Amino acid sequence: MKKELFKEFDGYDRIVEEREYSRKYGLDYSAHKDLADPYIQRLHPKRLNLQVSEIINETPSAKTLRLVSPERVLPPFLAGQYIALFLEIAGIRTSRPYSISSPPNQAGYYDLTVRRVEEGLVSNFLLDEVKRGDLLQSSGPEGNFYYNPLFHDKTMVCLAGGSGITPFMSMVREVVECGLDREIYLFYGNRNLKEAIFHRLLFDLSERFPNVHYTPVIEDPLEGNQCLVGLIGGGLIKNTLGELEGKTFYLCGPQAMYDFCIPELERLGIPGRKIRKEVYGPPIDITRAPNWPGEIKADNRIRVKMNDGRTLEARSGETLAVALERQEIRVPTLCRSGECSQCRVKVTSGRVFQPAGALVRKSDRRFGYVHSCVSYPLEDLEIIL
Amino acid sequence: METYDVVVVGAGNGGLTASTALARKGLKVLLLERHNIPGGCATSFCRGRFEFEVALHQLSGVGTPESPGPLRMLLSQLGVLEDLELVEVKDLYHVIGPGDFRLSLKPDRLQVIAAFQDKFPKEKEGIERFFELSYEYASQMLSAFYFKDPDPSREKFPILYHYAFKPAQEVLDELFRDPLLKCAISLYWSFLGLPPSRLSFAYLAMLFFTYIELKPFHIKGGSQALSNVLINRFLSQGGTARFSCGVDKILINQGRVEGVVTEHGDHINTRYVVSNVSPVATYTSLIAPEYVPETVFHEMRGRTLSPSAFTMFIGFDREARELGLTGSMTFFPNHTDITDKNLLEMQRLDMENPFMAMSCYDVADPGFSPPGTCQASVVTLKYGEPWLRVPPAQYHQMKFRCAESMLRRVEAAFPGVRGHIEEIEVATPLTHMRYLGHPNGAIYGFEQYTKDSMFFQPGRTSPIQGLSFASGWIGDCGFQPTLQAGVTAAKSIIREFEGK
Repeated sequence: MKKELFKEFDGYDRIVEEREYSRKYGLDYSAHKDLADPYIQRLHPKRLNLQVSEIINETPSAKTLRLVSPERVLPPFLAGQYIALFLEIAGIRTSRPYSISSPPNQAGYYDLTVRRVEEGLVSNFLLDEVKRGDLLQSSGPEGNFYYNPLFHDKTMVCLAGGSGITPFMSMVREVVECGLDREIYLFYGNRNLKEAIFHRLLFDLSERFPNVHYTPVIEDPLEGNQCLVGLIGGGLIKNTLGELEGKTFYLCGPQAMYDFCIPELERLGIPGRKIRKEVYGPPIDITRAPNWPGEIKADNRIRVKMNDGRTLEARSGETLAVALERQEIRVPTLCRSGECSQCRVKVTSGRVFQPAGALVRKSDRRFGYVHSCVSYPLEDLEIIL
Repeated sequence: METYDVVVVGAGNGGLTASTALARKGLKVLLLERHNIPGGCATSFCRGRFEFEVALHQLSGVGTPESPGPLRMLLSQLGVLEDLELVEVKDLYHVIGPGDFRLSLKPDRLQVIAAFQDKFPKEKEGIERFFELSYEYASQMLSAFYFKDPDPSREKFPILYHYAFKPAQEVLDELFRDPLLKCAISLYWSFLGLPPSRLSFAYLAMLFFTYIELKPFHIKGGSQALSNVLINRFLSQGGTARFSCGVDKILINQGRVEGVVTEHGDHINTRYVVSNVSPVATYTSLIAPEYVPETVFHEMRGRTLSPSAFTMFIGFDREARELGLTGSMTFFPNHTDITDKNLLEMQRLDMENPFMAMSCYDVADPGFSPPGTCQASVVTLKYGEPWLRVPPAQYHQMKFRCAESMLRRVEAAFPGVRGHIEEIEVATPLTHMRYLGHPNGAIYGFEQYTKDSMFFQPGRTSPIQGLSFASGWIGDCGFQPTLQAGVTAAKSIIREFEGK
């Protein structure tokens, strides 16, 4: 073939001329560098540096940390989204996601409301160690649990359990503070009233705003004179709502609440597409999860061999992400619930247990990729980070 | 310090095929990717029960096992074909609108001609001639460039010589009168980002020829499956890949690559870098200005950034059939104009009645989504720059407003679908900027004007020794060309190693 055949094509000279003109009057890309990136950083910063401006005691076991940014405008978020705090506690670098409990119209700070978890490394640190003025690092706002005007109903039925109230607090505040054309039914389950975060505030808001309906439900029958006792069941929901059509249901709370409430909603005939569920971290005791292989004990010792030759020790009852963090191995994490896929690693040998609900891509499953934040080692493993 | 024969920056289509091709030849290759997952555009994400396909609409160049196309052969040479399930798509495209216009095409030359002639009986001859011309063009182009005719000439390839640089609109105006026909027959322009007034006829001809003769394809598991299969092959050939590990700097010494520095500060020695990153970002962000030859920015000056996309990923709680979604690929033109008006529309933020394309993967592959469900991705092309004018606090609202107007058009075409939405995710040009790192979220790289085609631009090479490019930025864009670009980049490096 002749080398430059195309030079004989009709119109060649005209196109060369066009190219030269465009080069003469075109863009200088050497200065293009930072056009979009600063904008993206305003919406989706890789890291946010935050400072604790106030600590508000909510209940005996819960506090709100009010976080401001000493250096920038906080990125916007949708009510219901979370940020992940990146922390170093006792030499372990880890992260935890917390829903923002302040409303998105409050651009000056993010409130994170933290409740004590038994033996919770991070919650105890945040509640006991963190002081006003301390600096914390976080991700930008993330998460898919929010009111989506494209297909959600304007009437929201929110089912919260314990600290699962936080995303709803943000939603309720936004609706009332911005006068949004939405109606919220909030059912809030707790062991007892004293543990119910924001109880007083929610009660007051429901008194003042006709589009906010608040139904606290407690398990402790001794407090039966103050509110409903029991669980958030189908009968209660049906009686409170009357008409079930035209409503979208949102759930945020511990796994036990989902296990109880979702079948209740299904029995009421609520279609799956109307039920939105926030991820809520790995279960506290994985060995009680359905399908957990009974012969494996939580404290079984497992050896994990990495592709760089290092080995580390893990326990069956802890996630791979936790084991990696303990040994100072860098794994990016955000949701820590098997949703965001940041902590994806490849298991080339050995089995892990992944509870139902981890969102793993089909082709990832086929090639042994797992989300380390919800993967429990059952036997000695070889992994590629 | 670590030393590699080649460092590949970016695990998009081009980076993946380049790495795999290099590792197959026994070179010591390091693939660095700033995300946690390989694929670049060729990826997916999960929401609820759904795994949404991000970018692949119709895979071109595959062909059947009996008469394989160039992409099937390439995948076979890389040793990944047997790991992939390629699904032949039985329809070419469907048109809904403007108004009540409807058209359905199958990937069969005679059916396509008959379908157009049925809708436009007065233009039978023009339609016949258009496909004759497209096929003649394709066959002459392939003889001259793909099969490398030893003695090409104007006499041998008159159509190629005459039409290669001609704008599509000129050809459409010569052959047709009805503006609706001109519009419906040129809708594939949206796969390239330039309206027929600017796109060369050559592209349109090649697209029709390729999709009809080699059929459109999907991949079981989506484009993420392709990316995973490639990375798996790369790793099994001894390649090293690091994810969540971007490159901060490409180090240059005396006009030659000598290494890279990762975002974590690790120095790696290498004399070859294949950049799967846009040349804009490579030369402005990865290489210190004093090492960038002036010619680079001079040549780049004339080039413009392609549109980005605004995409709605929808999961329905019904099967495609139940919702009346019978087309794999449906275009929704908003008017019959094929001129620069389309460019102006893509430059506007507002979206009252946009030109959309919709892919429903479950039509050709009923197992694509979970049983009883299906998914659709609805796209419109939009330049990224106007999105940088949206105040961040209004970003979410703007995103929902634009999506709402697209959703209304989908509902108008398929009444009742809105009532079956289980998941929706929306990607804006800013989303593409964020995840792809392309300037202005340009999904097709630089715009594909004739003056910017491979004949007229520097392509994959660089004046910096040891640096080459593999992506949709350096030639034609799309899955097939970028997968090919990686292999081509790898081949020149392999030649240099073998020459030593």
